[in-house]
Amino acid sequence: MNIEVNKLNKSFDEFTLSDISIKLPKGKIVGLIGENGAGKTTLIKCILNVMHKDSGEVKLFGHPYDDALKENIGVVFDDSFLNETFTIMDINLIMKNIYKKWDSRLFFKYIKSFKIPKNKEIKKLSTGMKKKIEIASCISRHPRILILDEPTSGLDPVMRSEVLDMFQDFVSNNENSILLSTHITSDLEHIADDVIFISNGKLIFDKPLKEVKDSYVVLELTKDEFKKFNKKDIIRYKENRLDYQVLINKKNMKSDYKKYIKDLTRLDDIMLLYIRGQICED
Amino acid sequence: MRGLIIKDFLYLKNTWKNLVIIFIGSLLISIALGNFLLAICALPLTLLASTINTFQTDEFFNTESYTLSLPLSRIKIVTARFLYTILMLFISFFIGLVLYYLIRFTIRPGRNGLNTDMLKYLIMLESASLLVDSIFYPIIYKVGCEKSRLVLLSIVMLLLGIGSILSVYVNVFDNDFIDFVSIINFIQNNGVMVLGIIVTITTIISYFLSILFYRHRDF
Repeated sequence: MNIEVNKLNKSFDEFTLSDISIKLPKGKIVGLIGENGAGKTTLIKCILNVMHKDSGEVKLFGHPYDDALKENIGVVFDDSFLNETFTIMDINLIMKNIYKKWDSRLFFKYIKSFKIPKNKEIKKLSTGMKKKIEIASCISRHPRILILDEPTSGLDPVMRSEVLDMFQDFVSNNENSILLSTHITSDLEHIADDVIFISNGKLIFDKPLKEVKDSYVVLELTKDEFKKFNKKDIIRYKENRLDYQVLINKKNMKSDYKKYIKDLTRLDDIMLLYIRGQICED
Repeated sequence: MRGLIIKDFLYLKNTWKNLVIIFIGSLLISIALGNFLLAICALPLTLLASTINTFQTDEFFNTESYTLSLPLSRIKIVTARFLYTILMLFISFFIGLVLYYLIRFTIRPGRNGLNTDMLKYLIMLESASLLVDSIFYPIIYKVGCEKSRLVLLSIVMLLLGIGSILSVYVNVFDNDFIDFVSIINFIQNNGVMVLGIIVTITTIISYFLSILFYRHRDF
């Protein structure tokens, strides 16, 4: 395992991340999903010791947490990077004096392929370009793990696809792995092996993506159909203006339910129903 | 750690225009007054005072989380900032020295306009600036840059308040209670040495307090 988190707890005044246990296996891309404020960034910060955990254990590469182990971790935060008055040349100078394995040639290769000007201040670049610099600086230190918080936000579809290809190349040696927190769940459906779903500070599931998609089905029912539907089969439901969206476990799928399937089950729907859906009382 | 010190030095490159203007302004004032103390001290002191801006810039660009994701312990992050400050102390003194000799050999003011005492004043002013940094740093590491000024002002006001009450009701500041005259005389005669000792002790205490506070801080 590249990362192991056991029973991690972190409390704030009005929020608690409780009993989170997750694993990031070698060679895998693991998606971290959940609503805003679910605790994804807090979890990432606790793994990296940016925030102190109240209890629990974090292991990196099979060893108890140590700052030096972060030499092998590349991080992209949603809202935190170096000073934006710096240029590409400045970032290279800083990084090569921090990371032993910093590869200036690789960094400039990415910068060239991303068409980023070397002497322009970061703050004068677009959001997408800033993200590209962060990703390039992450990969240029030859890490074994990438921890990415919303790495593709602000990127256009072409660039997003290019970056996702980079991520897939990164894990292709079966040693490296990626923990990818994102709201763009369609990205995960293309590249993730496993999915960790956190809601309101609690772990809902940590499963292979295929198993998630094989486990759940989203049905769309009219109001009348919903009234007659066996409520015991429902995990969550959401009432819309004209219909009901219903999340059920695939093992409870009956042959007459098939007509209610309108589309392939998407992670978005599962997440939405878990977060905003209601539980049937009867 | 070297990378973080370089990062702090790189902040300065955006301020060079202001530094040049500050020097030109102080030089013009000095020429007008016929005393070049300001021309020697203004630039070095501005440079030394700018060390505190590195905290502000970090906070403005929200770089703390990113810094903590680097393979550096919190102790090393604090040490890097203190080393940067000490380096700036030497660099700014060196700049003051260069300015002293430049003015001496180019403008050639008389003895009253430029003398070696001015270098002593530069050391004292720089020590005082470092003292202010040493007081600020642990507070910044505890509560952040934004809040630190308010916290420091609160502490100063509280101490002044207590001092005022003591002076009025307990007469603690009477010459009989504490011999202020001899203290002031001692400082006047041994100013550089006294300040040096005070600043060294304060900086060491400040360093350990900063580590203590930063160790427990979440970002």
